[in-house]
Amino acid sequence: MMQEFLQNYVYLIGSMSLIGIGLYITLTDENIFKIIVGLNIIESGTNLFMVAIAWYPKAVMPIYTLTNKLSINGKVIAADPLPQSLVLTAIVIGLGTTALALTIGIKIFEKYGTLDVRKIKEAGR
Amino acid sequence: MSIFNNAALLIGVPLLFAFSIPLFGLISKQLTKWVTLLTISFNATFSLYILLAHKYPSIVVMGNWLPPFGENLYIGPVAALLVSLISVMGLLIAIYNLWSIKKGDVTRFSVLFLMFTAGASGMVLTGDIFNLFIFMEITGISSFALAAYGPEKRALGGAFKFLVVSSIGSTLYLLGVTLIYTQLGTLNIAEIAARINQTTPGLLTFAGVLIVSGLAVEAELFPFNGWVPDTYTGAINGVSAALSGIGAVSGVYALFRIAMTVFGKDGTYVSSYGNLNFMAVIAVLATATVVIGELSALTQKNVKKMLAYSSMAQMGLVAVGLSIGNELGVYGGIFQLVNHSIAKTMMFLILGVLVASGVGENIDDFRGLWKRSPFLSLAFSVGAFSMLGFPLFGGFWSKFAIVGASIQRGGWYDFIIGLVLFASIVEAFYYLRIVGYMFSSDSKFPKLKTPWTPTIPIFILAVSIIAIGVFPQIVGTFSAQAASEFTHKMSGYVLNVIPTIAAH
Repeated sequence: MMQEFLQNYVYLIGSMSLIGIGLYITLTDENIFKIIVGLNIIESGTNLFMVAIAWYPKAVMPIYTLTNKLSINGKVIAADPLPQSLVLTAIVIGLGTTALALTIGIKIFEKYGTLDVRKIKEAGR
Repeated sequence: MSIFNNAALLIGVPLLFAFSIPLFGLISKQLTKWVTLLTISFNATFSLYILLAHKYPSIVVMGNWLPPFGENLYIGPVAALLVSLISVMGLLIAIYNLWSIKKGDVTRFSVLFLMFTAGASGMVLTGDIFNLFIFMEITGISSFALAAYGPEKRALGGAFKFLVVSSIGSTLYLLGVTLIYTQLGTLNIAEIAARINQTTPGLLTFAGVLIVSGLAVEAELFPFNGWVPDTYTGAINGVSAALSGIGAVSGVYALFRIAMTVFGKDGTYVSSYGNLNFMAVIAVLATATVVIGELSALTQKNVKKMLAYSSMAQMGLVAVGLSIGNELGVYGGIFQLVNHSIAKTMMFLILGVLVASGVGENIDDFRGLWKRSPFLSLAFSVGAFSMLGFPLFGGFWSKFAIVGASIQRGGWYDFIIGLVLFASIVEAFYYLRIVGYMFSSDSKFPKLKTPWTPTIPIFILAVSIIAIGVFPQIVGTFSAQAASEFTHKMSGYVLNVIPTIAAH
């Protein structure tokens, strides 16, 4: 029973808790680098969620061959391929955002000499 | 359903030239600005042709796969009007950039600016809920980088804040889209809109909360607009103009496309499926935005920060108008969106010219500006009067329609419009204070020499504000068609994309 529960829900629970952890880090932390890490954790959570909804236990790969039947008695048993392609796009977009965020972070460190959000705010006044 | 595949050029051409600009940059850095200008002027010409020759409603299909199977673009009245607005504003800002962007990395600025316009046009044109996310990120990533451009330290802080808030917003949006996908198994906006009542109401509500809060970041609605003042103040003036004249337009469009077409339930006043009426939620958030934005703007001594808060408040007013949900309200909202885009772009450009010629950003520096530069002070006053909704200026007609529509609706909208009118008085106070400073006092400083390149867009924008004020049907006819698209989701949107789909 434990195994069944894990198979069915572990990815959904895991992805939601990743999103929660990421939001907590992003909203409360004061270090710019940690904020970027938080953003990445949220993105990973979302990506995991999208993969998780496409797959269910004992699903077969969505490629039609002689041995790999996609449906049995009219019921589709293949995993849904679309969310996985969406995840690829989302991962690439996340990479771009992270790269840009790190670049801006480096620039901030060069100009202000610190990565602490509070100190940057004080210096801005 | 008519197919007009050439309209894909509105996104394709700017993206193609955006990525080939580094090649032009090898020849000359100044050439890249002209390439940007020419590309956006192609977009402006083509979109105005679509709008004026009435080529809509039509769809663009990719690889001959008809929707709902293929990805499609949809050009309806709303998309045609807004894509013209975006490209024309982009063209005028590109003319201004010819003069203003001289130092620094001109090549990369041109790349980013073209990508920004292409992304915003894509957001308005797309008919696929996941493509909306992609275009949102193209617009987003290029606007973070644009906001960080420039010599000033404060630009970086603003850009970083924008990046964090906007990334969280778009991730929440993606999560909401995924939830809808689990229910319906499609990503096509038209098909989702037609089958939205087949979903579980609880899950639909959760997805709606995620999507609305994600899109409210770009649309500058209240709890998600903390980035606006810092980013607008930090960015150089051309970029602030682009953010308020182009970025906010596509953000508001996306928010209401989801709230009114995807989640919408037709009726005298559009409401939404699910356990929560999202139109009412947006109305409350928008009212809060208007009141908070205007009150914060009142306390600012820095004109640029004041314009940023005012921009936020005006986007709130647009959202109030659209959220009323009948034809008059949506008409007013779209009209106000056009007016705000024109006036705020012009005011940021004027501020840019003033700052470059040595006038400060504080209100006190505006004393006696009439004597120093009559043209710029007159144009600034025209923009301010349009914001306030004085008769014979563009803003009058849209504010009039919004107030009229809320009185028609009655009920708790009386309360909302009361708060909005109170905020308008506050707005009148701080705008008239600047106008008074400009015209009443004397100045001992010498006259300003205004360069001629940036005066072209400012002149065109000022003239168009007065033209819209005198002949409101210039925008009014298109905005009335747009209102009819937004308030009739089946006949206005879904059946134009998938004619065979069964109405729910």
